[in-house]
Amino acid sequence: MSDQLASALAKLTAVADDPDAYVRDWTRRTAGKAIGAFPMNFPAEIAHAAGALPVIIQENREPDTSGRTLLAEFYCGYTRNLADQATKGRFDLYDGIFFADHCIQLLGAVDVLRFSAPGTPMYFGQLETSLADAWAPGAIRDKLGKFIEEIGTFMGTSITPTALGESIRLFNENRRMLRSLYEARKAGNARFTSAEMQVLVKSSMVMDKVEHNELLRQILAEVAQVPRDDRVRLHLSGHFCHAPKPELLAAIEECGALVVNDDLYTGGRFISTDVAEHGDPIEAIGEWYLARDANFPCPTRVKHATDWEDRLVDEVESSGAQGVIVLMVKFCEPHMFYYPELRKRMIERDIPHLLVETEHEGVPLESLRTRVEALLERIRTNELVAGGRK
Amino acid sequence: MTTVDTAVLDKSNRLSATKLGSKMVSDYWENVFTARERGEKVVWYNGSAVNPFFQAAGLVWCHGEAFSARLAAQRLEQPAQLAAQEYGYVGELCSYARTHLGCAVLTQNAAEHANGTGIVGLPEQAELASRLPAPDFFVNAYAGCSTGQQWDDISFRVFGKKVPIFNVSLPFLWGNKPDGGYLVGEEWEQASDYVSGQLHELVAFLESMTGRPFDWDALRQNMAYLKQASQYRREAMALCAHAPTPATFWDWVASIAHINFLPASQELVDYFATIKAEIEQRVAQGTPALRDERYRVYFDGIMNWNKLGFLARKFADHDVAVIAGRYTHQAFWQEPHLIDPENPIRGMAQHYLLCPTNHGANTIRHLILRDCEQYNVDGLVFHSTRTCRAFTNPQQLVAQAAQEKLGIPSMFFEGDVADASFYKDEILESRLEAMLEGIDVRRARA
Amino acid sequence: MSYYLGVDLGSTTAKSVIVDQAANVVASQVVQMGAVSRAGLAKSMAGALEAAGLAEGDIAGTVATGYGRRLVPGVGRTFTEITCHARGVAALVPGTRLVIDIGGQDSKAIRIDGDGIVENFAMNDRCASGTGRFFEVLARALECDIADLADLALTGDRDLEVSSMCATFAETEIISLLARGERREDIAASVHRAVAARTLGLVAQVRKSEPVVMTGGVAKNAAAVRFLEQTLDLPVTVPATPQITGAYGAALLARDTGRGGRVDDDPVTEQRAESPADCTSCSAYAPAPGARPLLPLHPR
Repeated sequence: MSDQLASALAKLTAVADDPDAYVRDWTRRTAGKAIGAFPMNFPAEIAHAAGALPVIIQENREPDTSGRTLLAEFYCGYTRNLADQATKGRFDLYDGIFFADHCIQLLGAVDVLRFSAPGTPMYFGQLETSLADAWAPGAIRDKLGKFIEEIGTFMGTSITPTALGESIRLFNENRRMLRSLYEARKAGNARFTSAEMQVLVKSSMVMDKVEHNELLRQILAEVAQVPRDDRVRLHLSGHFCHAPKPELLAAIEECGALVVNDDLYTGGRFISTDVAEHGDPIEAIGEWYLARDANFPCPTRVKHATDWEDRLVDEVESSGAQGVIVLMVKFCEPHMFYYPELRKRMIERDIPHLLVETEHEGVPLESLRTRVEALLERIRTNELVAGGRK
Repeated sequence: MTTVDTAVLDKSNRLSATKLGSKMVSDYWENVFTARERGEKVVWYNGSAVNPFFQAAGLVWCHGEAFSARLAAQRLEQPAQLAAQEYGYVGELCSYARTHLGCAVLTQNAAEHANGTGIVGLPEQAELASRLPAPDFFVNAYAGCSTGQQWDDISFRVFGKKVPIFNVSLPFLWGNKPDGGYLVGEEWEQASDYVSGQLHELVAFLESMTGRPFDWDALRQNMAYLKQASQYRREAMALCAHAPTPATFWDWVASIAHINFLPASQELVDYFATIKAEIEQRVAQGTPALRDERYRVYFDGIMNWNKLGFLARKFADHDVAVIAGRYTHQAFWQEPHLIDPENPIRGMAQHYLLCPTNHGANTIRHLILRDCEQYNVDGLVFHSTRTCRAFTNPQQLVAQAAQEKLGIPSMFFEGDVADASFYKDEILESRLEAMLEGIDVRRARA
Repeated sequence: MSYYLGVDLGSTTAKSVIVDQAANVVASQVVQMGAVSRAGLAKSMAGALEAAGLAEGDIAGTVATGYGRRLVPGVGRTFTEITCHARGVAALVPGTRLVIDIGGQDSKAIRIDGDGIVENFAMNDRCASGTGRFFEVLARALECDIADLADLALTGDRDLEVSSMCATFAETEIISLLARGERREDIAASVHRAVAARTLGLVAQVRKSEPVVMTGGVAKNAAAVRFLEQTLDLPVTVPATPQITGAYGAALLARDTGRGGRVDDDPVTEQRAESPADCTSCSAYAPAPGARPLLPLHPR
């Protein structure tokens, strides 16, 4: 591995591992304001155009303690961990909190934050989730206008279309570079492990885009072409609002799998769509929000022009994946609702798959290994049994 | 070991008026189940009580949550839940949705697989499937819980994406601004406007589905009935501030169906007038709803529908009068002054926004503490509802506030709305006793 | 004559089975362990060899399975219990389409095709409900021997509501039923019924198919089998020694691979040798070549 690539990757890994340290460092050296945002569709370009550092708040690695009981045990690991972080004062490093997504479990966690830090400026600009209605684009535009207003007031500035246009271009460049690495993996380059791929995207959710883009350029300049080996090729699907644990990804690969593609939030889903660089930037962000869901359908949104199961099959086929591991965040209702639709399609298409539920505390490793290996044994059997049955 | 005879005298004295009301409910469902025979169009809907629109449009309406709750109350939920599991739904999914989607799968499969799906026995399958007529279209108007909208969208998919669907988007009343609060503030007014606009779109959609102009006069008439019924209901509830209480939470549970989805009619108005009259009479005569009311508690959460009688009895056995609850008292046309029968849309929109899960924790805390004071309760019982995150959301925060601001203790028990397997009796029993002992100790010191 | 050894190291027992080239069981050995232990494993393997009158050198191939499969010394390769149970059942009861395997700490439903190949499977997650461990809790709460549990359950007739199937809470629940004066027989029957209902949920996930075979230690519990039959509304076949099914399947897989192709000349391995020397791209991946799951395992 070249030094430059290794050093860039190490920097990104450090940020992905400890986002809080990066945010503290950034605010100290720039004297700027950091905005904490919750997933999945916060228009970070707006916060950036106002001069803030927009950070998508990640699950941390600490055991849940003081906030553990504030949300019931049947909330997803991410939201319970957010509640725990809130009670431990971990969000004090943010000057304000902004978010756009209506998830009932997330709102529970945010209320814990409101109760534990009542002075923190917070704003919830709820974006429409029923996307095909005639009035949806207008309503979305209004909400984005409110974000411009609220974030501008919070930052003590007025966000100009020019500034917003520049932020959009910067963010697009970031997505384009990340996409090129994802496309390369899909096309056969096995240079990065799935945990490393996650680092690339997760660090982008945290870092200043100028800095992130610079490191990505260094990586792209030196990335080598590494052909796939003989491991079973898998697609990872699910986890649409936070990162699966890197050790889970490593365990899957240790069982003898090569992850060749994904539709994870900290992966293909996050970087799928750019904002148009021409015309009214607010209009463009509204269109991006709709297009993002059309490109990578998310079960938290309702509309019927495109469906996730179609996209999943396309992604599996175009990457040469032989099977799918569905990573379901335990207690994630939209995923529980949609999973049977995915399963139905995968069965119809003879795509072997495994459902794995994840939690903040991790997944029992032996049980995971047994299930992953059984999936791989099944795929290998299908491959080798006479007649090439699939 | 000898068998302990648990059939001691039931200490509760339920309202006789609610017994009359059960026929109204069974008539309603019979009407739903026979809709096809009469050639009527059926709409499936979830969430808010948009049924006055359906009634005015001459439709037969079936509320998904109500249907699931009914199956659970009749202990018929398990075959539907099994069908859902077979289809791939994980057991932690909202049990209302799981039960309802299981029925959808069975209804959908009934025609396709005459031999059954395998896992659910044919007789049960036929029973469930034949009971629930397939929808001609869906309407979703779900407040509070983000998954409510997804639920109907999945029903739409289970039916092969062929049945039309209309969504009313109801913003969450989160309380962004300092002026935000219950029924006040810019956010409330803007949300009211936004939803009103969508309800006009809903009317246009219904016209396209029925092929008839919408009968606005019928809607006005419906809302006049509902306004009056609601006024009687709220006045009767207020009388329960009296100690000992003349009626309990369990009586109010028995008339949720009426106020939530039965047809608006003079009969409905008379029903709530009768309830109010009976309660007034009890107050005048000093007749209690519970023979030995020693404790008054507030119930937060949707009830365990498959354990209603069991739970009512359990609390009564401990001399606990459950007086009020968030589900019964902060929902179902609960602010009748907002309804203007001449111009009903805005008041309807506002009630759809007033779902008891559609507020930030600040507002819910305000409402529950207000109820606790109004009804003079000694303790709070929180149903930590396994598959209902929406209702469980602010419970710990509210419990803390009740202790800090009113000195009222709380207890949590674990269960679920429609999946009995999550109910843990030992936890309820021991925690209830512990809370009551604490109340006793405090009283002794006072 | 070549012999093949299958070892299944589970959470509470170590099972070893030796088969000959014709797939006949030559010897088997089940050793109870308190917890996963190398000593129990060694005892089980030595016991099987002794019973067969063989020495280690007579074993041409060994396959290990079960949670402790990586602990088995000198093992050629490992397979999951899922593949091994499917393989074992396909040989023991040809034509089986659904395997229900309930062991000490987990339960599985495995749907297999006509050739004994896994089509789909479902496993309980962390919850110990319905596993061997759960029945131990039940026996303890009812103060009876685990071996007597089935007899007790089969004489119960009342259907009591057992609200909690959580292994942690089941004990208090059972004690409170006893305190209420319920009969031990009825409690045992009701808990078995509830376990069967849970298993039906697992079966629903993979789709109900028949014929059905039950394996694993819990299959020795006649009441568990009876209530499962009632719940599934299907006959359930239990092999003579259900707890060795996995080890038997492992022995057969050792035999299949031993006859069908050596690891060394497997085409997949050759491909791997051609892959680039720079292995930094797959630093997370470093299993020994022999430990890699490669087949074929067609049962004939």
